[in-house]
Amino acid sequence: MAERWDRTRVLTLAPDAPSQRTAQALASAGSWPLTGAREPDALWGECRGSAATPYRTAIDLSGPAYQCSCPSRKFPCKHALALLLLWADGAVKDTPADPPAWADTWFAGRAGLTKANEPQDLKIDPMAALRRAAQRDSRIGAGLAELDRWLCDQVRQGLAGSQQAGYRHWDDIAARMVDAQAPGLAERLRGLATVPHSGAGWDGRLLAEYALLRLLILAYGQQSELAPPLRDTVRSRIGFTVRQADVLASGEHVRDRWQVLARRDQEQDRLRSRRMWLRGRTSGRCALVLSFAVAGQSLDDSLTVGTEVDADLAFYPAAVPMRALVAVRHDQARASAPAGGTVAELLASWAKALGADPWLDTWPAVLAATPVTPVTPVTPVTPVTPVTPAGPARSGRPCLLDGCGDALPLHPGAGDCWPLFALSGGGPLTVAGEWSPRGLWPLTAWDQTGAVPL
Amino acid sequence: MSTWQDLVTASLIGTERAVVPAVRIPGCPGLADAAGSAPADPAEELLGRAALLTAARRAGRVPDHAEPLPAAGPDPRPAVGQAAGRRLARMLGGEHLGLLDEWLTAAVARGLRPPAQLLPALLDLGRRTKPADAELRRLVVAAGGSRARWLADLNPDWAFVAETPRQASPRDEAWRLGDAGQRRGYLAALADEPLLEAALDDRADDVRRWAASWLATLPGSALGQRMAGRALRCLRIERGIRGTRLVVSPPAGSDAGMRRDGIAPGPAAGRSQLADRARLMLEVVARTPLRTWTDAFAMEPATIVTVRSGDWAPVLYTGWTRAAIAQRDQAWMTALIVEAVTGRPPGSPAENEALSQLARRADPALGALGSPDALAEPEPGSPPAIRDAIRVLRFRYDMSKELDVDDSSG
Repeated sequence: MAERWDRTRVLTLAPDAPSQRTAQALASAGSWPLTGAREPDALWGECRGSAATPYRTAIDLSGPAYQCSCPSRKFPCKHALALLLLWADGAVKDTPADPPAWADTWFAGRAGLTKANEPQDLKIDPMAALRRAAQRDSRIGAGLAELDRWLCDQVRQGLAGSQQAGYRHWDDIAARMVDAQAPGLAERLRGLATVPHSGAGWDGRLLAEYALLRLLILAYGQQSELAPPLRDTVRSRIGFTVRQADVLASGEHVRDRWQVLARRDQEQDRLRSRRMWLRGRTSGRCALVLSFAVAGQSLDDSLTVGTEVDADLAFYPAAVPMRALVAVRHDQARASAPAGGTVAELLASWAKALGADPWLDTWPAVLAATPVTPVTPVTPVTPVTPVTPAGPARSGRPCLLDGCGDALPLHPGAGDCWPLFALSGGGPLTVAGEWSPRGLWPLTAWDQTGAVPL
Repeated sequence: MSTWQDLVTASLIGTERAVVPAVRIPGCPGLADAAGSAPADPAEELLGRAALLTAARRAGRVPDHAEPLPAAGPDPRPAVGQAAGRRLARMLGGEHLGLLDEWLTAAVARGLRPPAQLLPALLDLGRRTKPADAELRRLVVAAGGSRARWLADLNPDWAFVAETPRQASPRDEAWRLGDAGQRRGYLAALADEPLLEAALDDRADDVRRWAASWLATLPGSALGQRMAGRALRCLRIERGIRGTRLVVSPPAGSDAGMRRDGIAPGPAAGRSQLADRARLMLEVVARTPLRTWTDAFAMEPATIVTVRSGDWAPVLYTGWTRAAIAQRDQAWMTALIVEAVTGRPPGSPAENEALSQLARRADPALGALGSPDALAEPEPGSPPAIRDAIRVLRFRYDMSKELDVDDSSG
């Protein structure tokens, strides 16, 4: 069965607040004399209402898509939401028998529809495609030249003024990169607006980002000399997209039992994104499955943290192949905790990956480690004298300490990470998360009961 | 480190005024060649060196050092089941947060511990609670166990844990959770009935009211018997050809005896005499032992609450509710809920409030009904008070069922 959504996620599907309330009231076993579920994503139920015959509700979780016999014009209706809430609470059990005929008919129709919607090989006019590509190349070329001048101007005039500059400073140049059809650069630039206010060391972080952006521009200018995988990396970081159909058709396919390690959801400008981190049990390879949704839509819920899927993944071409699509799913099972590594192993794999792709800024981490926090209070730093920290472990940030005595700081954005401490109780546990130059962002920890999303 | 800092300093000042510092990276010979090949723009030069150093610094990251923490003491209690843990997380997120003490009490009583990852949220809640709610703090500390104490040692925000008694004194427990006999024993140990009775003549208003309200919850107290006498003069049953009905003749006013027994005197300013007689009636019913009615009418609570009483129905409903809650009488609480849901719906704000209190206090299994699901589904147009009450009852019912199921490993 698909990962059980939590209630919040079900409620975000509601068209309005009254629907949320009525759905919650209806989400009680007493109102639903009949419910059932069938692998992988069919859900149905009959709801006792004011009418003589019960309302019949069916849900295809893969869409999600809804069908209900009630006259409501709201979509999804309260019955569909209530059924989803029941399911989210674990109150809908998998049914060995087939769904009732009314539901089965609809599910069968859905299956046909999905097939019909699968991407077809479109006939593309090769000449027109070439023309479009040339047009885009020249636009990007002009955009990159402009960004290059802008970056050099920043260091020519000095970064000291960046703390007084507003978001506009970066939004303007980001908007011009959107015009130049380089959305990857635009996103990176927009993300920089917060750096000057990210605490001590902001100047170094801003300089590093500017320097890496210019390195990207230079690399793009010399792409014909780059090895094809590195060229793919450079192009994707600038914002060239690869069609999913092409990845499925010609990307590297790897079949393994993929452990679903961690999930990270983010929201920016009403666009929600989800990163799912996977690791192959046999191959040891890591993979990243991305999904996106605008407000109101739901993100891909087909992968559940703490489970293991036997699947073929298709990797996007890159110098460090990481992003992937689930091409074929064979099976899914509950998984035990993944094997956690050491800090030294993590840093070694990170260094190796950076050697192939210096623009990498997140890297999957699975550690067997203990969260620790400095017990002695940090002596306050006087604001007048610029002080370089005496040693990283004295920074006052909580860290993860492995069995060899090596530690890495937790990411400042992840907060105090008290739930992680609570799970550990001062002892080691397996933690999965994202490593980045600023620290490790813990996303999942395993205790006796299984995976706990943080 | 210093090379990087030099670059950063130069970039802060700007290459218009600062010299681009030289960069040496051990084992990276390409740098000198690149720098020497063309006299570049200083800004480009600075960004190029910064890019190289950034990659080198990131890839060359070495581990930090840290000291382990003392480990938490063992907690032998098993964890609650997964459904119960999920419900606790939802409650901490704001859903029926007011029922949290009930969840915690039930978990502590069953010897279960909450999921560890929820302890920080529980401790935060305990911290934010006003000192007045020492009970919630006590429950948080009792439920949190050794792991919560260990966390509190790490975070000064949770210092209250060390100051909170881990367990209620057995007497507190008897008063809060005990049946009538245990409560009476508690009261007897604290202050026997004659003493409370004497307190009805105390000089202080507070003491008098407190003694009266306590005596009213004490089965068989002399105050209860006096109230029963008053109540039976005010309410009688008529069994006629047109059916059975309750006839109310409310007290004309409050006399010295009523005042002594805790019923406030005199019509409040601006209140009609009729409204005040309704208030007196309500106060008398609220303090009358519920046995009075079942004995006098020879009927079960479930029947009594359905007997017609005309305009007096809301007063009787509210009075019986207060009595049932104060005397912890589950049969009456259930009868009053079932009547509101399936019989005469609540009509006044006071009745809505009464129903809401009942839904929070009654045994959610509702006695013979077995579960709130046995109640009829409220009609779409039914009053919000009824739907809210059923929702609360269902929530509490599911909550206690989940805590009885052990699915922590499955």
